[in-house]
Amino acid sequence: MTSRRDLLAALVALAATPALARAAAPDSFAGLDPAAIGRIGKAWRDQHAEVTAQDLAVRLFPTGRGPDALARLGALAAADFRAGKVFTYRGWRLSDTEGALFALLSLEGQP
Amino acid sequence: MAIIDARTLPDASPIEADLVIIGGGMAGIALAKELAGGPLKVVILESGGLEIDMENQALYAGSGVQRAPGNPDRPFDDYPVQSRVRALGGSGMVWGGKCAPLDPADFAERAWIPHSGWPITREQMQPYYDRACDLLEIPRFPLDRPRPTEPERQPLALDSADGFFPAPREFSKFSGGVDKAAFDAFRTKFADAPNTTVYLHANVVKIRRQDDKITGLDLACLDGKRHTARAARYVLAVGGIENVRLLLASDNLGNREDLVGRFFQGHVTYSSDGDSETEGTALVVSRAAPMDLYAPGKGRAAHCVIGAGAAAQARMNTGNFTATLFRTKPSGTETPVGADTQTLRRAGGRVAGGQDEAQLLGYFAMAEHFPNPDSRVTLDPEHKDPLGVPRVRLTWTYGEKDYADLERSVTGLADALGASGEGRMCWSIERSKLLAISSASRHHMGATRMHADPRKGVVDPDLRLHEAKNLYVAGSSVFPTSGIANPTLTILALVMRLADHLKRETGAVR
Repeated sequence: MTSRRDLLAALVALAATPALARAAAPDSFAGLDPAAIGRIGKAWRDQHAEVTAQDLAVRLFPTGRGPDALARLGALAAADFRAGKVFTYRGWRLSDTEGALFALLSLEGQP
Repeated sequence: MAIIDARTLPDASPIEADLVIIGGGMAGIALAKELAGGPLKVVILESGGLEIDMENQALYAGSGVQRAPGNPDRPFDDYPVQSRVRALGGSGMVWGGKCAPLDPADFAERAWIPHSGWPITREQMQPYYDRACDLLEIPRFPLDRPRPTEPERQPLALDSADGFFPAPREFSKFSGGVDKAAFDAFRTKFADAPNTTVYLHANVVKIRRQDDKITGLDLACLDGKRHTARAARYVLAVGGIENVRLLLASDNLGNREDLVGRFFQGHVTYSSDGDSETEGTALVVSRAAPMDLYAPGKGRAAHCVIGAGAAAQARMNTGNFTATLFRTKPSGTETPVGADTQTLRRAGGRVAGGQDEAQLLGYFAMAEHFPNPDSRVTLDPEHKDPLGVPRVRLTWTYGEKDYADLERSVTGLADALGASGEGRMCWSIERSKLLAISSASRHHMGATRMHADPRKGVVDPDLRLHEAKNLYVAGSSVFPTSGIANPTLTILALVMRLADHLKRETGAVR
């Protein structure tokens, strides 16, 4: 029989996975073109073949996708430009964080 | 006093004055205006007539090429004839009227830019810039420009440590291309002054020198008549290329140190349209507020470009750089490039917290053309114009640093926009294609450069030819470095300064 404590532990563990994180998040990136997300995300993933969706979710949303998530992403992106951590796509000079975000969104969008 | 067609004078007429200004363009006219009503008898000798005439215009014809490392040479034979105007008013006949001062950094000696540094500071130029603005009836450009108060004209909130700033541009009506009636008055009324005479169709074909003094001018008309002109002082003001041509054609006048014609600098813009792979030169801005300060809704409106100040240049180890923004239609989503751009706009706007969609703007980039002794104007002795003056050869040359600095500046601005959360930039022009895609302005600078040391400059800080004590040079050919501002305002500011010098020297202070 699963105790209440075990159930809570399982939920905490699941919260680190993209599926639960996505389910809990406000739909900040709704309405974006899935094909475009796929192309941009793949371009970033081509340079980071070893990175998984779980890695990205932990990196980008360590505290979940609550109301503060966008502000945190913005701060990470700004810091990337200061640190020279950039990702160039079709000439656009983007932060590595943005590249990682598109990679995550593209992976989450996969069937 | 009068505007006279030199072709109506008896052949071999002698023209005498206290001061002869060679060239009736913006510089020559501004100088005559400054001296109007004074004690000096002033004569302007203008090659053209009152209107643009192709026979006169053909006197400019020459040859040219643009060169840059790693890029195919670009033939530029039509450039000399297409980039200036021989008529009273000069290239003001077709000027767009855009005015901007050079930046303080442009005047500074920058250790990372060989041959940089003016013998004048931006601060010292301020009163002359003010007078030039007054002449053109535009707002002045104070060194500490107040921040706009209108919400729709707020500057981008870039970190001041990055060194980019909003560099203002204004527009004058005194251009044949803007307000013909106003410009016609500007370029003719000054000749009503009792001490001023303008001769049209009066081509100076040779400046005569004895030792360190100019002794006279040889004039030729296209109808065959020849005249002479003599004065106590002369000002050469026939344009950034033609100033060189006339000096070299006058027995290498001023060229003892082999400097006349070298260090030619031009302005070009760099931009690219979108294609199947990229959006071209574009920028997304995260803020919701209008960008009227940079991209006003109507043409020829006062605006700012994003400029790289001294701090940015020192930080990036680059020269001057600007990005000029303009409104553009958002790309459609029917192509992968358009769909990707739209997605970047929307995601970027949301991450930055500004709005649902970031604003899309186009831009063109400009980078300082560094002084380069191999970028030069020479004479082609095999080809002469109908008046017997050798035609010019323009070899407009870039070095490795020009393009490397351009790219570093674009990256630096993109990073500054990104770090501030203000936006993202797109740049996709390969270095090997920069020359081919660049668009040349009609700004000709540097080829009779100003320097206190006669071994390093053609004219001294008073614009006097080092080799001749009574010949001055006016125009952008005296600029040691070219900055990125449209040169007319600085040309006129230097003319104001020259006018003061001439008044002091001759005792002709009103």
